[in-house]
Amino acid sequence: MDFAYSEQQTQLKDSVDRFLTDRYDLRKRKALMGDAAGAEALWREMAELGWMGAAFSEADGGFAESALDAFAVMEAFGRRLMALPYLTSVVLCGDLLRHAPAADDLIASMIAGRLHLALAACGNTLLHSPHHGALDAKRDGAGHVLNGRMSVVLGADRADKLLVAARTAGADGERRGVTLFLADAGKVARRGFRMIDGLGAAEVEIDNLALGPDAVIGDPDEAVPLIEAALDRATVMACGEAVGSMSHLIPATAQHIRTREQYGAPLAKFQVLQHRMADAFIAAETARSAAYVAAIGLDGARDPATISSAKFQVGRSARLTAYQAVQLHGGMGVSEEVDIGHHYIRLTMIDRLFGDQSFHLRRYADLTQLGETA
Amino acid sequence: MDLSIGPAAERLRDEFRTFFARKLPAGLAAKVRNGEPVAKEEHQHWHRILNEQGWLGTSWRKEWGGTGWGPLERFIYDEEYSAAWAPRANVPSIDLLGPVLIEFGTEAQKKTHLPRILNSDDWWCQGFSEPQAGSDLANLQMRAVRDGDVYVVNGTKLWTSWAHTANKIFCLVRTSVGGPKQAGISFLLIDMEQPGVTVSPILTLGGMHAVNEVRIEDVRVPVENLVGNEGDAWTISKFLLGHERLVGAWIGPSLALMGLLRERLLRPGYDGRPIGADPALRLKAAEVESDLMTLRYTAYRVLADELSGREPGPVVSVLKVRGSEIQQALTDLLMQTGGAEAMAHPFTLPDGRPVLASEEAHLAQQFFDKRKLTIYGGSAEIQRNIIARQIVGV
Repeated sequence: MDFAYSEQQTQLKDSVDRFLTDRYDLRKRKALMGDAAGAEALWREMAELGWMGAAFSEADGGFAESALDAFAVMEAFGRRLMALPYLTSVVLCGDLLRHAPAADDLIASMIAGRLHLALAACGNTLLHSPHHGALDAKRDGAGHVLNGRMSVVLGADRADKLLVAARTAGADGERRGVTLFLADAGKVARRGFRMIDGLGAAEVEIDNLALGPDAVIGDPDEAVPLIEAALDRATVMACGEAVGSMSHLIPATAQHIRTREQYGAPLAKFQVLQHRMADAFIAAETARSAAYVAAIGLDGARDPATISSAKFQVGRSARLTAYQAVQLHGGMGVSEEVDIGHHYIRLTMIDRLFGDQSFHLRRYADLTQLGETA
Repeated sequence: MDLSIGPAAERLRDEFRTFFARKLPAGLAAKVRNGEPVAKEEHQHWHRILNEQGWLGTSWRKEWGGTGWGPLERFIYDEEYSAAWAPRANVPSIDLLGPVLIEFGTEAQKKTHLPRILNSDDWWCQGFSEPQAGSDLANLQMRAVRDGDVYVVNGTKLWTSWAHTANKIFCLVRTSVGGPKQAGISFLLIDMEQPGVTVSPILTLGGMHAVNEVRIEDVRVPVENLVGNEGDAWTISKFLLGHERLVGAWIGPSLALMGLLRERLLRPGYDGRPIGADPALRLKAAEVESDLMTLRYTAYRVLADELSGREPGPVVSVLKVRGSEIQQALTDLLMQTGGAEAMAHPFTLPDGRPVLASEEAHLAQQFFDKRKLTIYGGSAEIQRNIIARQIVGV
């Protein structure tokens, strides 16, 4: 039994942390949101440092010893509030790319930092339940013609290609009948914008897009299990990011209340604030335990119940920790000029991403047949 | 990172499971599961079975008749022990005094007391808290004044668990005044079967008799009953706390209660549908199970630190706080799965027999009994102070 990162994972995490500390602060983060070329240049540097390859096993062309490599990267991203779309493009879409006909080339491009992807699936849910909300596909000879509109596709603003879930059989809500297509982003209408956490997204409108059979990823009509597996993996990685973010917020808030004086004493002298810090610590450390175990589990047989339990824990803990971090920072906590509030926003987004606390708690109960006879 | 406990530990887990299935009397397990009181004779019988197997002194070194286990073996044993609904008793003797004597006791003390504990002849209770020293133990007042070969002891211990079934008590006593408060405290072994020792029951919520007041008046205790040197008690207490940090998470007992809750949710409720068909109750149960699994993983992290010789740090207090809260939440939900029978007071017939012969009869009593968990052994507030001191540095 061991909960330490391997040497490779430790080095990876430390190098991400160092690089971002040197090169990526709040001002840079904001600047890159309006500077596609600058963001692209930084992305290429990240690729050269090998961070994209950390999300893929050697068999898939990467160098990950285990899923914990990407988890370690995500933890460092969380600490440093990284706002480039690693989670949606490399982790989530990268996992789905493994089932593409030309997987090797596509993954190699992604590892080199030359391919950005976004997943258009799951309707309006922020990416859970892929048997709902697929776009429309009509058979046309050997291929399909796709139509439909999706108001929020995370990472689609700067994506080169889209993975589009479209219904090729059955009705909305049926587990069979969804097919995953790879489409050039240039062939669809996009209106880019920022999410509340500053990460990019786009409204996507697909109008009679004809795609051949070589655009199909995985088996036709069978995309739901593939997408669910990729979402589960991405969920755990999002947990890693949240754990990293919380591990920044707690010492930063402790530092603040040690130095900020009111009523003639440092805030840290007030027991009510000490106990808030203790509660945040309890929340963050238990979330870390749940996230670690879910991450370790990614390399074995898939265990969605453990993942849902972890996401529930991490979401609840992240909300509590970030809420208190803002509260204890007072006015500085709600200022756009200070990182604390941006962590709060990102953690709130992670809580909602891939299914929120209600979704995952119910999913956990369903998967473990709680209160139901088997 | 790696979650596996290794094949040797897995085998040991199987061995525990088989042993409990074969040797734990079914009637006894049913009583524990239902929260019914268990008589001292039944405990003694069970402890003799455990001792025959060599599994009573689970935190003792082999040379003194213990198992010689490390933290991993103990943790697994605790999970399986609880899962089997084996009764817990004489804990102060086995888990507290035994390890203290082995670490700090004289050869004579070890030879006198350790075999009598394993043989279930002696039942010790722990005399720590006092009227003016609850969480603030350093404030304790029980005096032990040296007079030749004896200490003359005077004072009162409060909230002393199972003093009414014990024949001996180990006490924190003040052997000197003036100087730092902690430095004047010593660890003394006292025979309760003598004049001057008076045990009075304190009933806690739900009519439970677990704790007592122990008055000690002019009792003469031989100096050879001092453990360690005068003033060593603070060091010994810290050793004890280190010893029980995983126990305070209540992982094994909570897993057992969760199993019971899952089972009860399947039973038909007032409307004939399963109790767990109530969506709100079902989600509360899911939340507490998720909390429990997460705390179990947190305990694994502490365990992994212990196994590799690292100091776990403030996360230990997380175990205590969350472990107690989860026990309270579980017994609350179990009470909610019970009907009217769950809310009867179980011991209010004139002849003292149980009011209802029902599996539900003790659910409310169990819930109220767990209320103490966030109060004793360092209250939830003390635990938060400890965490804050370490992470904020105040």
